[in-house]
Amino acid sequence: MFAEFGVANLRPLLEGAVLTLYLVAMSGFFGTIIGLVFGMARVAPFAPVRWVAATYVNFIRGQPVLIILLFLYYAIPLMVPSATFARGPTAIIGLSVYAGAYIAEIVRGAIESVPRGQGEAASALGMGYLLRYRYVVLPQAMKVAVPPSIGFLISLVKASSLVSVINYVELTKAGAIVSNLNQEPLVTFLVVAALYFALSYPIALFGRWYERRLV
Amino acid sequence: MTFYFGDILPYLPILLKALWVSIYVSVAAFVAGSIIGAPLALAKAGPSRLLRTVSSTYIEVMRNTPLLVQLYLIYFGLGQVGLNFNPLWSALIGMTLNNSAYTAEIFRGGFAAVPAGLREAGSALGMSSVQTFRYVVLKPGLRAALPALTNQFIILFLYSSAASIISLNELTSALEDLNSETLRTLEVFTYGACLYYATSVLIAAGSRVTEKVAFRW
Repeated sequence: MFAEFGVANLRPLLEGAVLTLYLVAMSGFFGTIIGLVFGMARVAPFAPVRWVAATYVNFIRGQPVLIILLFLYYAIPLMVPSATFARGPTAIIGLSVYAGAYIAEIVRGAIESVPRGQGEAASALGMGYLLRYRYVVLPQAMKVAVPPSIGFLISLVKASSLVSVINYVELTKAGAIVSNLNQEPLVTFLVVAALYFALSYPIALFGRWYERRLV
Repeated sequence: MTFYFGDILPYLPILLKALWVSIYVSVAAFVAGSIIGAPLALAKAGPSRLLRTVSSTYIEVMRNTPLLVQLYLIYFGLGQVGLNFNPLWSALIGMTLNNSAYTAEIFRGGFAAVPAGLREAGSALGMSSVQTFRYVVLKPGLRAALPALTNQFIILFLYSSAASIISLNELTSALEDLNSETLRTLEVFTYGACLYYATSVLIAAGSRVTEKVAFRW
């Protein structure tokens, strides 16, 4: 069964895996920026800012990734007349919006875990809001935020498989195409699953190692 | 840009029916997955090395591969070796297996959080280990696990949308059908987003009620 599954089948899957990695890296990067901004906004001193951030975070956390992706895929060309059905950008925007909401919750939890006195001491030293966050609160919060962020990164690898519905040819879509051609769905998707495991398990191991080191 | 939210209103019963499919598939998979997850958790925390290896391998494989790929394997892959399941059963089996790995980890964490003193107190009272588990450890363990279980249930419900890809007629697939029928894309997906959001808010509220009613002592 595995013998016939040669290089011809494996190559498109490996190319798909590279694109999955690219999607995760891009949306992880933008998601982190969104998450930092909205996580800080969740604990901002000005109440309306908190409300806006809470609405975004709670609403997105109540949505399937698939709905976010389909909505953007169909809605962007309707709302922006010059835009076309661009798969790559839609995939990255969708996954970033999704990741941003979850990372914002992680960031908020991490900021709240920093003892209040730290921020107060910084203001007593005459630091303003930005200085206080840059030099006192965020460095301590980041340490707390890393382990759950690594956990979320694994979710993001798996969520990226849903991008196949808007026909972006990442690992899962590559698997679907290959299995249509070779009529061997069992082996093909076992290989796809193994590739996902190879992408995701090292992240899980790194997370565990990091947590042990922290204690 | 003009919106025609009223145009979608006549289709609301169809969407609600589809939402019901999403909900009952998720509930069934969550219950079945929890039933499988409990012995997995026991095996992973247990004394037998073989059982520990088997259960943690199963848990790691399930947790490090996407649900969609698992559904493809069951729906298309198993068909190749003569095991044909319809979309509903494929979704139920896939989501159950997927969920069992997550609930196993949650149960293990919950019961590990119960102070060892409680277990010792149970055996000091002359209870067998089964009695200690049933009358002393079970309730605090479940209570410690409840927030994570609720989270997992919401995530499972949201991920049930992936079953639309193996053509199960649940909410997401109903939304796509309605979108191609009415071409009111923004309105259709706004309805869908609100239905998913409302349901997940209700699940979270239900969990808070459960915590108050079932875990009072």
